[in-house]
Amino acid sequence: MTVAAPAPTTAHKRPYFASPRNRRDALIFTMMALPNVALIAAFTYRPLIVNLQYSTLDWQLGSRTATVIGLNNYVEWFTSGDAALVLRTTGLFALATVGGSMLLGLLVALALNTAVPGRTFARATVFAPYVLSGVGVGLIWSFIFDPTYGVLSFYLRGMGLSSPQWFSDPGLSLVMVIIVYVWKNLGYCAVVYLAGLQSMPSDVMEAASIDGASGWSRFRHMTLPLLGPTTLFLTITTILNSLQAFDLIKIMTPASDGTRVLIYEAYLQAFGAYQRAGYSAAISVILFVILLALTVIQLAWVEKKVHYA
Amino acid sequence: MSLPEFANLNRRGFIGLAGAAAGVTALAACGGPSTSGGASASSSSESVDWKSVKPAKEIQFWSNHPGKSKDVETAIVNAFNSSQSETKVSLVTAGASYEEVAQKFQTAQTGGQLPGVILQSDVWWFRNMINELIIPLDDLMKAIEFDATDYQDSLVKDYQYGDKQWGVPYARSTPLFYYNAEMFKAARVQAPKTWQELEEMSTKIKSANSGIQSVYQHPAPADYDSWTLQNKIWAWGGELSKDFDITCNSQAVIDAVTFSKNSVGTWAGVSAKDATADFSAKAVACTVGSTGSLVGILEAAQFEVGVAFLPGGPKATDQVCPTGGAGLGIPKNLKPEQQLAAANFLKFMGQPENAAKFAQATGYMPVRKSADMSSVFKERPQAQEAIKQLAHTRVQDTARVFLPGGDREIGMANSDVMTGKAEPQARFDQLKTTLEGIYTKEVKPKLG
Repeated sequence: MTVAAPAPTTAHKRPYFASPRNRRDALIFTMMALPNVALIAAFTYRPLIVNLQYSTLDWQLGSRTATVIGLNNYVEWFTSGDAALVLRTTGLFALATVGGSMLLGLLVALALNTAVPGRTFARATVFAPYVLSGVGVGLIWSFIFDPTYGVLSFYLRGMGLSSPQWFSDPGLSLVMVIIVYVWKNLGYCAVVYLAGLQSMPSDVMEAASIDGASGWSRFRHMTLPLLGPTTLFLTITTILNSLQAFDLIKIMTPASDGTRVLIYEAYLQAFGAYQRAGYSAAISVILFVILLALTVIQLAWVEKKVHYA
Repeated sequence: MSLPEFANLNRRGFIGLAGAAAGVTALAACGGPSTSGGASASSSSESVDWKSVKPAKEIQFWSNHPGKSKDVETAIVNAFNSSQSETKVSLVTAGASYEEVAQKFQTAQTGGQLPGVILQSDVWWFRNMINELIIPLDDLMKAIEFDATDYQDSLVKDYQYGDKQWGVPYARSTPLFYYNAEMFKAARVQAPKTWQELEEMSTKIKSANSGIQSVYQHPAPADYDSWTLQNKIWAWGGELSKDFDITCNSQAVIDAVTFSKNSVGTWAGVSAKDATADFSAKAVACTVGSTGSLVGILEAAQFEVGVAFLPGGPKATDQVCPTGGAGLGIPKNLKPEQQLAAANFLKFMGQPENAAKFAQATGYMPVRKSADMSSVFKERPQAQEAIKQLAHTRVQDTARVFLPGGDREIGMANSDVMTGKAEPQARFDQLKTTLEGIYTKEVKPKLG
């Protein structure tokens, strides 16, 4: 028996929009998507593109005219010496706040993962600073650190010690904002780590206990590896947040000596004193590129390793 | 499957929706500078026949209410609105500081609503001038017979450049030496005439008042410390600049900042936020602060407050006090009617009774010579010292007030030295390079 081969299709495929139903679906889709697309285009992508354009201008904020100078703003920034200082400050701030928040967050999560009375209250207390306004937190901690009449200096004087000059010593100013930032954000890390700890398979941990593994050994060889995806997720998200930290730094160190991180530097150049809007836009673009690179890493690498289920 | 109601949108509705979306996009497209060199020309006050212009019906007055002046500013604005029917002025809180008002004013240039009258501090009016954001007032003042001869001469001169008047004095101040009279009495010392005298008497003050943390408190780096730094620099015979020639690394300047540096940790401290608050809290025996802080200090302090001229130094004891504070200007990018209305309001604000009322409520100096301050002096005898000191003031160095960011750069250099993080000569050499760079790049091209 011979089987006839299927006849080749000769009819033209009907255009999608020839069908009234498809046209109607397309119209519905357009109507539903258009407002969001317009808003995102207007308030996210357009400012981004315009900022790129501004970064090529010699433009004083307030002036109605500007001169196109190409990449001179970038060249000036990278060759001025400011770049090294600002990038070092940004790196130190990110490293200390991310490391501090995660380490302390993990310790708090381990403590909260045990069955102790008042655990729910303790969790809420630890998480609360994360949702507080950065401005409010900055003002309160400014009072605590004030070397003249602050709470900390009161206790230090009680011990016969003088208060460090947190606000006028550039090195200490950075330490001060790092401490406060870590305090404010460790609750977030603690809650995420706690979720990771509570989703761990209990039978595996019990088996390890039965096999005689010590507490440290279980933590080192089982808990930490199992928390790997959580740690990766936290690393990326806290770095992104830390690079965008502004309110707390601005409130606590208005003189900005010692705390010129990238985002604060962009603000200072345009609004703080210099009115150099084009130069500030160039710094913003550099920050954007760094954030974009970290986001790409997150999408390409971390997403594959984090289990959301 | 039933379709949602909007699926039956007709052509007109769809076009409307698309139009709304386009509107949102267009709205976001507002603003931005022109790069073609053909920015829209605004009214040039010098070419306007002011006699033929009628004042605008409404204008705004942007202020940060310096010296907690919102109530008195509101009262003066209301009095103006009641005094005539042509123009209604609205008082707008445009920020919490001079810098925030300046930021709002600058960003409003590219699409926002501009005020009729703008408050601008000593470090902002010149920048607004070189960026062509404000107008010279001479013709306008002449047209409305706004006579400035009764203003305090030194304060009016602060707003002159290129033979033109770019603003009028408003919330004007000088630094004052504030001391705890009870602590000084206990130590049997008087207010010092020089900084060296204060250093010498500091041991007596400290031993007679063991509860204090330091004898003297330097202003906070973020609290315009470069303003009061000029006092020491001038007292040591130096200056930050001679016109636009930067001289901030001269030996006299280095000696002055070294003196300040050596005081920290021995007989002086550095404030974290506000030295006058530290003083009011009895943490220190003396400090320097604005005359605009006088009312606040007298309200907060639970002790007898003494005030005196700023101390001098080894090279000078007179003309070592800088003027400061804020004045009022009129934006360029307004219609002539709005500028005329603004000038009328400026004239009213500057009337002697209003100048006295403002000074009484805040502690700022009366900007008019004929302002009757007798009731103020009766209530606050300390205010007389500020008025007396006015005759001994000096116009600030160009490097601080005319260079964008000059104030901040000088403050940071001083802070680095005071905290021992930098060697004075090297840091102020670096400051000179920075300030010269700002002048060459940001100011010189605009001065022609």
